[in-house]
Amino acid sequence: MIGRCVGLALLLVAPVQAQVLTHPQEMGLPQSDYVRPDPSDYELALENGLIAYVAEAAHVPLVTMSAFVRAGRVSDNKQGAAESLAHALVNAAPSGMSAAEFRSALERMTAQYTVELHDEWAEVSLNVPIEDLGEALPMFARLLRQPLVTEANIVGAARQATPAASDLGGESGAALYEGSMNAAVGHFYAILYRDHAYGRKPTAQEFDDLTVLDVAAFHARHFVPGNMTLAVAGDIDVDDVNRSLAEYFGDWPSVAVPPPRPMPDVEERRATLHHFPSNKLQSWLVIGHALPKIPADEQAAFDVMDYILGAYHLNTRFMRETRYKYGWTNDASSFPDPRWYGPGAYTFRSYSRPEVIENIYRNMMREIIRLRREPVSDRELFVAKGALADGLFQVRYLDGYALTRSFALERLQYGNHDRSATYVERIRAVTKDDVLDAARKYLRPDEAQVVLLGEAAFDIE
Amino acid sequence: MRNLNSLPLLAIAVIASTASADTYNLPIREHVFDNGLTLLVIERPGEHRVVSKIFTDMGALNEKPGEYGAAHFLEHLMFKGTPTLGSLDWEREKEIHAQIRAAEDALIEELNRARNDLRERGVFHDYQHRETTPRIEELEALIDSLNRQAQELAEEGPMKTWYMAYGGTRTTATTEQEYMKFDLDLPADRVELFLRVEADRMQNSVFRNFDAERMVLVEQRLGDLNRAETEFREAMNSLVGRASMVYVPEGYMNDFEQYTRRYERELYETYFVPNNTTLIFIGGVTLENMIPKVEKYFGHMQRAPEPARYQGREPLPSAEKRLTWRSDTLGPRVEVRYQIPGVGHPDRPLFDVLAEAFEKQLQSVATESGIDGRVDINTRVVHTSRFGVPASINIELVLQDAAQAGNAEKVLLDELRRLAEATLSADAVALARKILRTDWYRTAADPNALAFEIGHFQVMDSWRTLEPYLEARDAATPEDLRRLAATYFIAKNRSVGVVVPEEES
Repeated sequence: MIGRCVGLALLLVAPVQAQVLTHPQEMGLPQSDYVRPDPSDYELALENGLIAYVAEAAHVPLVTMSAFVRAGRVSDNKQGAAESLAHALVNAAPSGMSAAEFRSALERMTAQYTVELHDEWAEVSLNVPIEDLGEALPMFARLLRQPLVTEANIVGAARQATPAASDLGGESGAALYEGSMNAAVGHFYAILYRDHAYGRKPTAQEFDDLTVLDVAAFHARHFVPGNMTLAVAGDIDVDDVNRSLAEYFGDWPSVAVPPPRPMPDVEERRATLHHFPSNKLQSWLVIGHALPKIPADEQAAFDVMDYILGAYHLNTRFMRETRYKYGWTNDASSFPDPRWYGPGAYTFRSYSRPEVIENIYRNMMREIIRLRREPVSDRELFVAKGALADGLFQVRYLDGYALTRSFALERLQYGNHDRSATYVERIRAVTKDDVLDAARKYLRPDEAQVVLLGEAAFDIE
Repeated sequence: MRNLNSLPLLAIAVIASTASADTYNLPIREHVFDNGLTLLVIERPGEHRVVSKIFTDMGALNEKPGEYGAAHFLEHLMFKGTPTLGSLDWEREKEIHAQIRAAEDALIEELNRARNDLRERGVFHDYQHRETTPRIEELEALIDSLNRQAQELAEEGPMKTWYMAYGGTRTTATTEQEYMKFDLDLPADRVELFLRVEADRMQNSVFRNFDAERMVLVEQRLGDLNRAETEFREAMNSLVGRASMVYVPEGYMNDFEQYTRRYERELYETYFVPNNTTLIFIGGVTLENMIPKVEKYFGHMQRAPEPARYQGREPLPSAEKRLTWRSDTLGPRVEVRYQIPGVGHPDRPLFDVLAEAFEKQLQSVATESGIDGRVDINTRVVHTSRFGVPASINIELVLQDAAQAGNAEKVLLDELRRLAEATLSADAVALARKILRTDWYRTAADPNALAFEIGHFQVMDSWRTLEPYLEARDAATPEDLRRLAATYFIAKNRSVGVVVPEEES
């Protein structure tokens, strides 16, 4: 009893430590001293023009090798060739192996192998345990240099281009697909790129007319050393990997690099609502228009503008004016989709129960218009610049995997690293006027094509 | 073309290697403070950034019936700020919140008083329809009006705002059955910002915009319900479990209108205490430099009574259960589920190996039997695949043709029986172990995913369980897996679901 009383007395006289609640702006957080890694520290340039970026990432015994190739759906006049080559890369094999042997090797290595085909470029990527690097790297090289292409790949690519409804089963299947954001975005792109190469899909007849020689010719023209970059990162000895890359890629003959195929602008259109009836529990909304190519000296202002409006995070103007104040939606965000050699797309997307989707449309459009009319606030500018310079930019170079990928893609697209070298500096220099200019140039409400997948249309005037 | 195999510069591994002693070397350092707060650090000297997470040992398992989803809702509310983060005039705002609480207390009183007028009588309830009384409507209107006044005095997203301004990314949060966590990745020399904000969030959260945020959960639920599989999976969950909260989704539609500030506050004050909290950091910090920083921001918090823990006990399985699900939107399938132990039980890691090895075998046998279908074996319940309490293993054959459902079920059950009688091949088990090992490396390569796994094991059992769990998978033998099948894959422990088209009804 005495002990308890003493304990209580001590408790009463013990000083209570106060909670530290200093405002973040007054905490004296250090200025950023971040310096982007130097790409030349990771670069391997082969005599045939192939550039590779190689970095150690030693926390786990894995290695990733990726190839980025300036060859996509619109890179060639021969329709369907890119899709058929991509199908071969996924489903066939490198020279010297059957498809079954290739599959078996991937399974034995517990490999993660992906092929992504975009409009203007492609990515082939292989991730394996480091113990399998000796087998995986030469196989990866053969795959890029000499993929086996057969008639079956053309047939397979044709089937993928026009999937039957029955192929859309399951969670990502027909039932959901017909009422999903993917479908709404698909409708938007079909409208934006109607009669444009970016929107064109090879026809069944074009696939029928395509031969294995056509696909091989596409490969021979575009999959050449000067038209691709490599990224290799993992628990590796960089010198060993550099020697191996020279061994497996160095004798690949250097040939002329095909020039990029410039794309025309899309046809200008007045704002229009495109309603696709749907009786799902929610409605999906895509507002969007073309996004012109953004010059390097305007990129920073565009990124700041987009960050404030609706990109990347949950505290944008879109989110405040749809979700937080009213609880209308779980998400309202912006999606810039620039292309390398032609007009990109800029979309603003949301979804909700049908009865409030019009409210969401109105508030998102109001914010787009407001950003074109009024300067952003000091705090918005401060937050966006900090987030882009000290956050998102740093993450691109977070580790060996990230930085080799970033450098390889930047080199392929721009031929140098000037953009990333000055990005932080350019972000820090963005002013309110720059943001206003970017909003007026890149936000185009008068041209907005509005796709509504939902119960009832509304008036967008 | 030169012979690529002539001078290999990197040795080709002929056979899959086995795991070595340091395969899962996780250099986790721990410090437990006097108030019970646990700090875990993986130091990566020279790294510029640090992944930061705060885990609370609470989640949907701790909810009470009628308010399912309340834990997830609490996570949303904890983004709304504190008196020092997000208020434009706290003295005035505080007064309005007091009025809102008083009005809500009166509303709860009226809801309880009028229970026999409001109680659900019908079977086919429309969640958008609700009974009310004039007093309820009056109080709801008052709360709505007060909410609008309070909204004028606050700003949105105050925590995210400052995280982002100082280079924070991945400003996310998650609530599942057994945990709530908040995440941040930021420059390591600014890690104090995380501590300042999270300590404030843990003690001083203001539940602003309560009713608008409630509708965000409705939106998330509608998104779930738009998936053809959701209701089937939930029906299967409820078939497997009779008592355990692990099988309950994050709120049915009729739960969302039931949430009250009073109940959310009760959850918050009970569970968000230092002795129920773990901080995890991976990156350019050290344990030694984190200890005084954590002490500065969390040291004032008093150890609280141990929060109520959920035991997750189910009645013993006593009979095979069966569900026939008729749908024209969900593809035909046969699914068989068995209850399995939770993390912390020595058999649990072996189920990962069994799932991996058996999936390939079943796929092969199904194909040989002329069944056009895809096999999927998983341990997911609601959203999560691992629990510290018993859950289930789900063995699924998704079919192209509903007419094959009967044969598919027979093949599936035959193979499960065979699994209990004869061992899988040593090669199949070795490959399964390698797949799991590689998957783990892919997880651990991402410090954010690694920090999540450490925190998840901490709430399921202990962070110390993680490495032995991974090692146990590497030590699994064909005989271990046969024993699992013989022990757990018994008829009494089985739930079978069959999806067939509507026209078959």
